[in-house]
Amino acid sequence: MFSLRSCGPWVAASLTKKRLTLARFSGDSAAPLATKFDVIVIGGGHAGTEAAAPAARCGSRTLLLTHRVDTIGQMSCNPSFGGIGKGHLMREVDALDGLCSRICDQSGVHYKVLNRRKGPAVWGLRAQIDRKLYKQNMQKEILNTPLLTVQEGAVEDLILTEPEPEHTGKCRVSGVVLADGSTVHAESVVLTTGTFLRGMIIIGLEMHPAGRLGDQPSIGLAQTLEKLGFVVGRLKTGTPPRIAKESINFNILNKQMPDNPSIPFSFINETVWIKPEDQLPCYLTHTNPKVDEIVLENLHLNSHIKETTRGPRYCPSIESKVLRFPNRLHQVWLEPEGMDSDLIYPQGLSVTLPAELQEKMIMCIKGLEKAKMIQPGYGVQYDYLDPRQIAPSLETHLVQRLFFAGQINGTTGYEEAAAQGVIAGINASLRVKRKPPFVISRTEGYIGVLIDDLTTLGTNEPYRMFTSRAEFRLSLRPDNADSRLTSRGYKEVGCVSQQRYERASWMKSSLEEGISVLKSIEFSSSKWKKLIPQASISIDKSLPLRALDVLKYEEVDMKLLATAVPEPLKKYIKCKELAERLKIEAIYESVLFYQQQQIKEVQQDEALQLPKDLDYLTLRDVSLSYEVREKLHFSRPETIGAAGRIPGVTPAAIINLLRFVKTTQQRQAAVNNLPNTHQCLCDTDGLEERQL
Amino acid sequence: MWRGLWTLVTRAARGPRSPRPCTRQGSGVPAAGAGATIFALSSGQGRCGIAVIRTSGPASGHALRSLTAPRDLPPARSACLRLLSHPRSGEPLDRALVLWFPGPQSFTGEDCAEFHVHGGPAVVSGVLQALGSVPGLRPAEAGEFTRRAFAHGKLSLTEVEGLADLIHAETEAQRRQALRQLGGELGHLCHGWAKTLTKALAHVEAYIDFGEDDNLEESVLERANSEVRELELALGAHLRDARRGQRLRSGAHVVVAGPPNAGKSSLVNLLSRKPVSIVSPEPGTTRDVLETPVDLGGFPALLSDTAGLREGAGPVEQEGVRRARERLEQADLILAVLDASELASPSSRNFLDTIVALAGAGSPSGNSQRLLLVLNKSDLLPPGGPDPSPNLPPHLLLSCLTGEGLDGLLEALRKELAEVCGDPSTGPPLLTRARHQHHLQGCLDALRHYAQTRDLALAAEALRLARGHLARITGGGGTEEILDVIFRDFCVGK
Repeated sequence: MFSLRSCGPWVAASLTKKRLTLARFSGDSAAPLATKFDVIVIGGGHAGTEAAAPAARCGSRTLLLTHRVDTIGQMSCNPSFGGIGKGHLMREVDALDGLCSRICDQSGVHYKVLNRRKGPAVWGLRAQIDRKLYKQNMQKEILNTPLLTVQEGAVEDLILTEPEPEHTGKCRVSGVVLADGSTVHAESVVLTTGTFLRGMIIIGLEMHPAGRLGDQPSIGLAQTLEKLGFVVGRLKTGTPPRIAKESINFNILNKQMPDNPSIPFSFINETVWIKPEDQLPCYLTHTNPKVDEIVLENLHLNSHIKETTRGPRYCPSIESKVLRFPNRLHQVWLEPEGMDSDLIYPQGLSVTLPAELQEKMIMCIKGLEKAKMIQPGYGVQYDYLDPRQIAPSLETHLVQRLFFAGQINGTTGYEEAAAQGVIAGINASLRVKRKPPFVISRTEGYIGVLIDDLTTLGTNEPYRMFTSRAEFRLSLRPDNADSRLTSRGYKEVGCVSQQRYERASWMKSSLEEGISVLKSIEFSSSKWKKLIPQASISIDKSLPLRALDVLKYEEVDMKLLATAVPEPLKKYIKCKELAERLKIEAIYESVLFYQQQQIKEVQQDEALQLPKDLDYLTLRDVSLSYEVREKLHFSRPETIGAAGRIPGVTPAAIINLLRFVKTTQQRQAAVNNLPNTHQCLCDTDGLEERQL
Repeated sequence: MWRGLWTLVTRAARGPRSPRPCTRQGSGVPAAGAGATIFALSSGQGRCGIAVIRTSGPASGHALRSLTAPRDLPPARSACLRLLSHPRSGEPLDRALVLWFPGPQSFTGEDCAEFHVHGGPAVVSGVLQALGSVPGLRPAEAGEFTRRAFAHGKLSLTEVEGLADLIHAETEAQRRQALRQLGGELGHLCHGWAKTLTKALAHVEAYIDFGEDDNLEESVLERANSEVRELELALGAHLRDARRGQRLRSGAHVVVAGPPNAGKSSLVNLLSRKPVSIVSPEPGTTRDVLETPVDLGGFPALLSDTAGLREGAGPVEQEGVRRARERLEQADLILAVLDASELASPSSRNFLDTIVALAGAGSPSGNSQRLLLVLNKSDLLPPGGPDPSPNLPPHLLLSCLTGEGLDGLLEALRKELAEVCGDPSTGPPLLTRARHQHHLQGCLDALRHYAQTRDLALAAEALRLARGHLARITGGGGTEEILDVIFRDFCVGK
């Protein structure tokens, strides 16, 4: 889950191939080679590509700067996309016309929805992805995006200028300096450097700087950021070794087949590119006490594990699993890396032991007795920037027009990176156009939960999405991401295609119509029982039942219902997706009603904006403790709602802030009501006297 | 508690920017989508013939009609005499004056109703319970009426300034109240339930987020299910018990404390005009907390006699001392008693330095407790001599033996209690009890819902709701707490 392609002696050969020429590729063949762009995106990983695409789609002339064009779209860790919570993020990225879902529908080799038996709100769309295909398809997409230019180059520094007076921040970014000394200017800059900031690769006791041979651009950039006053933290993660496919004895292992039919990630696809019968299986094996033994006997050869840097609690290395949960068998999934790949990725076996011990450990595992290790697992340690230093638009508080997305903000995972990329790209473009930022609330999407958690609470371990983080989980489902976000993306941003918008609008209005029709059909329970004998409807209820209530029963679907009551229901089963989505709406209908009330309350809190230029440390007329002031100063919450979620900010502090905001609002309103508004705007002090 | 407060704060804060249309007639069931309707005992705790119970919110009209059924609403803003009865059982409660204030011309700006009932605790508690049984009504949080008034633009900005202080004070009062309620067995029960529920929820969440990819067996869910079932039984049993009638503990809590043999028990007997406690010249006579309801200067109070505070006594007495300290934490007013002739003794000094200094000065956060310092056995002082204790904080001289100084003490007590009882947030333990019952019932309903639900996302939602109800009593319940349990109990991740 980092943009490091590989490491150590195994790849030294490929790293020595130094690239000196500056190559430029453009989807817009007519565009001249410019030195000024609207938006520059630094990094071609999952955050970078997702940021560059919507920026260009919004009409901003965009430059994607990457070390090497042929690494764009590289999946540097696991050969899969999606999962529980992560699949939700992908659906939302897709609803905003992002790339990864569509590319995954063209590149998967094993599609499977997780949590099928646990309710549609927590279904996890997931697929094993062919690394090579994904990269090819992503590059094709990126290199053919109008207004998007791709250039190879390493960024050494940022060009900073005077800040815009009407915004907060101590300076403004206006371009970048490349390693060869050349400069490129831009109106806004998105930084998606992944684990590149002071990245270190660790195998056993060996450590290598992660920058490529001959250039160490991210160290220069890291220093610049630190000098600017950004608070930097350090995180670690790891990846498992890769095993030769033909050396594994699959016959004695548990085989897992893909879903049939495959469920696509993207709302605009009805199927994926490959038939279920042509897809590849996965296999399951387990660790055993011998693995524990090797790990425990060699802890002294393992500097990654000894370090105090925080690693993820939920994607732990095999070492931490053994240490924290000894004497257990841990799962190892053997996943294909692609259609014609000879490699198998042993998910669950992330390890940083010296390479020869890794091989020894692998060979203790069932099915892997004769396994050949092609590449060892390794650990990575890297800098991240405390995400409380960025706004919900992902623009930094310190430097105007500078946006951060992806692992640099302390997250882990392709999907988390992609989600931030889309938002950063959109906002970098909106900022150039002087339009208000596009922010997704935590009541609207997992993207909102992700960014709100990061910007208000920060993180001290690599942040990963779980469905349990979303308090409105029943409303924020994978099936309805388009109803939640597509129209906003189309109307407020312009990053959504006409075709997608029309499709989403049709679906949304059909759903609304369908629900109201289902609500209007009412029969006694005994009549329903006669109409649909399969359903376990209890007939002792005297109240009439709506068709929507009947649809809630597990045994009932739209098809059955439309057979029972053809008029007016049969038109709703013509579109399979519509019929399925109506069923899901029915399941959650009663709870959603209450959840909508709560959502409204949260949204009202979020409608109470805090002025962005408040200096909390010196603010007079507001009684706040120093501790609270410091917290507010650091996180700079944009709304009362966000302020209330910051740990340690008390209700009394909130009331005081509110009073302040209300007074300010009143003043503002008074100003707006006066004639010759423009002359009065700056004269608030005088105005206050007049009011009093 | 924090979460609850927080919602209220922000609700209050939203202000009149989007005035909610009030259901003017308030007839029938409340309009869907409107906020909850709250009720509370609004009059103070003084001895009075009439107690006023108020409701605010869209279901106020419905509540009024439910209790006075089947009559129509009285004309707006004029008092009518009605027979109140329980809407479910039909049991008559009281003959009362009722008033109907359709919003927005009411104290809070919402539809409001007032019930002026006879002031006995049985009547008040009966009406509160009856209101609690009306759908859409719930007991008010402390200060919630004021906040609603603010939210509907009924308070000016200047009045709002006091709100922050009010909330601070109320948080403190609520804390003490919660301590009082949660001290002892109920507290242990609630915390135990919350712990079980958090764990069950965490395990269900883990099963959702990690069940498929990782090593979580089906048994995780089964264990959670059986925990929920047990919890359901326990809560159900407790609630049935609670309905049969917990002992009423109305009134301000006045705790008599001091070093051994200062004459605490004598003072209690004097104030209650009956021999509640055994009195002897021997230090450490009182070993347990003895409670007696008394009328002090017109205010109902629960007077507690406690063991003398000292170290190194036998185990029984030590337990008494522990209980005494616990009771002090929960007191609305402390009557600190010292032997006027023994002020220099180590136990007196120690008591002065700890309890008295702490309560009197108030902690830096301003959470001071009310305290009256009484120097007993003034009869032992040389007559006409100098003040025995020029360096002490303000105090009263008393002789329990002769009764000298009693009038002064009663006057001081009356003043203090007027302050305590005038504060609407400390008054109604009845309401706190109703609130607990409301949330426990809500928790139980949600647990039952969990058991009936097949869809795991919906089931988890029911547990979240249940945990939310318990969190209103015990605090906690955030996402991080759940995640901590998940990562502690399971090896998840790939």
